[in-house]
Amino acid sequence: MRVINHIKEIRQKRGITQVKMAEDLQITRQTINAIEKNKYNPSLELALKLIAYFDVPIEEIFYLEEEVTRRNKHEKTL
Amino acid sequence: MKKRYEIMIYLFVIGMIIVGGLLGVYFIGKEEGEYNFELALAVIVGSVGGFVIFSLYSTWRKKRNGNVPEVDERSLLLIKRYLLIVLYFILIGSGAILLVLYAIGIQTIEVGMLIVYMMILYMLIGIGAVVVKRL
Repeated sequence: MRVINHIKEIRQKRGITQVKMAEDLQITRQTINAIEKNKYNPSLELALKLIAYFDVPIEEIFYLEEEVTRRNKHEKTL
Repeated sequence: MKKRYEIMIYLFVIGMIIVGGLLGVYFIGKEEGEYNFELALAVIVGSVGGFVIFSLYSTWRKKRNGNVPEVDERSLLLIKRYLLIVLYFILIGSGAILLVLYAIGIQTIEVGMLIVYMMILYMLIGIGAVVVKRL
């Protein structure tokens, strides 16, 4: 099961650049890029930092792929 | 406190490079019977010059990219994976080279050649690590 995230959408909605985010979270810009493209799953520590940074519940940022397909199926049946 | 440690580490590294270079000059001098102080000067100027270039580059980088760290958890993970793969390449590769050399009839290896081989290995591993870090 793949973990997918909505960091890019949340970041862009708030007008935060990758460089600004990298500075604030003390990580590299490449890491942010990899996380946003779902190529890298952040450590629990970084995930918690991200949640605190955006001040949103965890389920709003990180999803399991299965959960999304289940949700889509449910929406289709409705 | 962190800055102090950083300065101490840099001083230690540069100091050790200079000590190593001077040791080399001493050994050459001992062998040839004449100490080459120009070479010692080159060792000191080269090490300090290299450090100055590095610090200028890192200051420029900090100005350009802001206060973004050089390494983070992902780059460490990438380097770990890279070194794990490199370990097998070196073990198997070196073994293969030895077998080939033995097969073609070479029975002894000059220590100087081993030093060159290790130098090339260190350089390649270092360049690879830099490339992997930037992925």
